[in-house]
Amino acid sequence: MPCEFDREEFDRLAGEFRYVITDMICRSGSGHLGGSLSLVEVIISLYWRIMRVDPANPRWEDRDRLVLSKGHAGPVLYVALAYRGFFPKEELCTLNADGTCLPSHVDRLRTPGVDMTAGSLGQGLSAACGMALAARMDGRRHRVFCILGDGESDEGQVWEAAMFAGHNRLDNLIAICDYNKLQIDGFTQDVVGLEPLADKWRAFRWEVLEMDGHDWDDIYETLGRASAVEGRPVMVLAHTVKAKDCCPVENKPESHNVRVPDENAYATFMGGLRRRDYSLPY
Amino acid sequence: MTMDEPLHEIEMRFVYGRTLAEMAEEDDRIVVVEADLSKASGTTPAFSQAHPDRFVNVGVAEANMIGIGAGLAVEGKIPFCASFTPFASRRVYDQVTISVAYANANVKIVGTAPGITTGPNGGTHMCFQDLAIMRVMPNMGVLSPCDCYELRSCLHWMARHEGPVYMQLVRLKQRAVFDESYRFSAERCVRLHEGGDVTLVSTGYMTPFALEAAKALEAEGVAVDLLHYPCVKPFDAETLVESAGRTGRVVTVENQSILGGLGGAVCEVLAERRPTPVKRLGVPDRFGEVASEEYLFEKHGFGVRHIEQACREPRQGD
Repeated sequence: MPCEFDREEFDRLAGEFRYVITDMICRSGSGHLGGSLSLVEVIISLYWRIMRVDPANPRWEDRDRLVLSKGHAGPVLYVALAYRGFFPKEELCTLNADGTCLPSHVDRLRTPGVDMTAGSLGQGLSAACGMALAARMDGRRHRVFCILGDGESDEGQVWEAAMFAGHNRLDNLIAICDYNKLQIDGFTQDVVGLEPLADKWRAFRWEVLEMDGHDWDDIYETLGRASAVEGRPVMVLAHTVKAKDCCPVENKPESHNVRVPDENAYATFMGGLRRRDYSLPY
Repeated sequence: MTMDEPLHEIEMRFVYGRTLAEMAEEDDRIVVVEADLSKASGTTPAFSQAHPDRFVNVGVAEANMIGIGAGLAVEGKIPFCASFTPFASRRVYDQVTISVAYANANVKIVGTAPGITTGPNGGTHMCFQDLAIMRVMPNMGVLSPCDCYELRSCLHWMARHEGPVYMQLVRLKQRAVFDESYRFSAERCVRLHEGGDVTLVSTGYMTPFALEAAKALEAEGVAVDLLHYPCVKPFDAETLVESAGRTGRVVTVENQSILGGLGGAVCEVLAERRPTPVKRLGVPDRFGEVASEEYLFEKHGFGVRHIEQACREPRQGD
């Protein structure tokens, strides 16, 4: 169930998330750092303040669902699930290791608390539509959240799903776009411009809200408004910073998938974090 | 169409829609997902009118259809997603791979009008590779029923079976091979004609033609062991190996490319278990075209006449 908010505690938790995520990825030698760090406050807000989940019963029928369509941001979700008690924190250091339950891209069959598999971009919103439809058919009142990447929004299937959800008025579906303005090959505006992104979603008959994806109050207030919308699905454009608080790659395209070949590179990334006063949980 | 007509007097697509509607009466998990081809699939009107709350039309958006099917399935529904064969297989191959098979979501995918049966829609719609590409996908079962009775039994099995399945659906009326008593098995193929001279292996649309050939050959004194494989994956290797061991000659025929489908499965099994000369009939490594069935059978060499000829002379150059 949602937890009480303490700003200082949540700030500290966000810093610890970034510290652990960066260590997990660097320890494994490579990984999707930027798009994991940009989602830290959104994911914490969802799992601590917004979503109804039961770590002791990951498949609880009335839980809120999350489809992490940008499946490469698995590490940030894994840290949230471990810290919420879905599985032991000690597992976190096994990211990408042989036989791990924590693969680079999210997998519903491997990780307790992961509701849908994703990794081939553009597919998650369709699955989220199916999950929202199933809830409606069964008369259940839980919500389905879906986190998309901004670069992912280049995929045509996203817009097939968008048109479907708008037409079918799936108001139990709340999508969040991690709008960090970067994709693998550069800034989104240079690769294939997404703007006017809010207007695009409105044209597809969605309610569109925008928020600072690193501001606790804005996230909580905006997702609260999103939950109250009736008769339409909601897209929340979360304005974020890719690789936030990891200074060597913050807001840089190369943060997407970092290589960490040796101790020096490891020290660069870990030493480049704005907050480092944490110990690892494994 | 009336309910009193014998099932084999009804187009296969209507049997599909009617059967799903009946099954949905008993099982509220069954959902139909269509991509603007529900009349072609036969789920409109039979299913859409009987169960409008479990009938989903996504429009011309097959990738979304598969993804929605996956989302429904992980929530416990049993979605049957249908489209023309090329759009239910090659167009959505990655969606089927990741959202369905890799996620092991309990989605049933139905490719209608397989191979040359798409007729006047021609080369763009003639998919000859769906058995092959679905067969190489982990977790995926692959079916191709030959008549309406087998289709019905396959649909009941699909709903009972926990896991992704791809099925070819011939839309047209088919000659009856079986009757109401038939029960599909995913473990065993069906021996439709016994013989010791040559093993003939068929599936789906080609099975009635293969049976016709086997009967004609019997009159000539050529004894055909006809094995019908409604389930191309998992593949019943034992029956094939036993038959090939007796006959020493194998012919395969399918409404597909000769590469990678039923013929491919047969060759893989025999190469490892009992090396035997195999003649594969079907479409060579070519695309389709707008043409009559007779023209396409002649051009690609897999009509009844070619089956008979191959059974008489299984090895090229003999």
